[in-house]
Amino acid sequence: MRYVKWAFWAMILTIFGSFLHYTLPQHDVVRIVGTYQERQDLTDWTSMFWSQPDDQSGTLANRDVQFIQSVRPNGRPMVYRNEDTGWRWPPYFKFDTASLQTEADDLKSNAEVPKWAVITHYGWRNELISIFPNAVGIRPVEGPDVTIIPWFNIFFFVFLGLVFLLLWRMWAQFRERAIDPVLTDAGEVWDSVDARADAARDRAKGFFGRINAWLATWRR
Amino acid sequence: MIGFLRLMVFWSVFAAVAYWSLLIYSRSVRREALEKQWDADPPDGSTDDMRRDFIEQGMAAYEGSLRRKLLWGVIVLPFIAIGTLLYLVNYA
Repeated sequence: MRYVKWAFWAMILTIFGSFLHYTLPQHDVVRIVGTYQERQDLTDWTSMFWSQPDDQSGTLANRDVQFIQSVRPNGRPMVYRNEDTGWRWPPYFKFDTASLQTEADDLKSNAEVPKWAVITHYGWRNELISIFPNAVGIRPVEGPDVTIIPWFNIFFFVFLGLVFLLLWRMWAQFRERAIDPVLTDAGEVWDSVDARADAARDRAKGFFGRINAWLATWRR
Repeated sequence: MIGFLRLMVFWSVFAAVAYWSLLIYSRSVRREALEKQWDADPPDGSTDDMRRDFIEQGMAAYEGSLRRKLLWGVIVLPFIAIGTLLYLVNYA
């Protein structure tokens, strides 16, 4: 039973953690090597890893998606999709896909004369099911070893902690003020029932005592 | 546009729930503080009616207080946050 409990909580934590890991912004230092646009079929279950940049796109079977190709400082490739999130989830309110593609084009460089950039993105890259992180911002940096402070995530986790603290306090307050008094009342009622039963048992000694006690149950 | 409307509808429902639960919580905390304040140092010859009046007056003062009005932040701040994000992501 204890292992079931652990497994349950581990599963909840994993799902919640993956959700945050997918949704929260991350920063990569990369060198942009190219951009392209490709028609994507978006009718199978992996469509949940793609945006619905406008109202029509929910009913389309396929549509064009823009991509940004890059190389990381360790020489490995990383490809981002570049799609509007619009007013939908995740709440990045990104509408500047075309501008971002232009900025990416502007930062293109080769290995001989590298120009480094930080790409802010959310999402995962998975080659097996062909999913790509979505780029939401790009800015040039001096070199591949810049320090990036994830201000948004720091703020977000502090805020999340405060929200959990508040929810816990709200629950504690609700229990103290609304549930515990009811339970105490119920306990008092129970005790008085108990006491009356004890008194009845005490009176029910002997034959007449028993009859009196029985009669007493009809009186009140 | 539909997306925007859907966001607003979802947000309104969420904000209403958050606002009301916070309001109930905040009132409860204030009432408890008033009760404790009275019980810690009740004036001589105090009755239950005096205690009730004291608490009701305190709650009436709370309803007009800045603290109570700050709860509207739960509804207002997210719009500021959305505006800020929209600016930072698309125009900064």
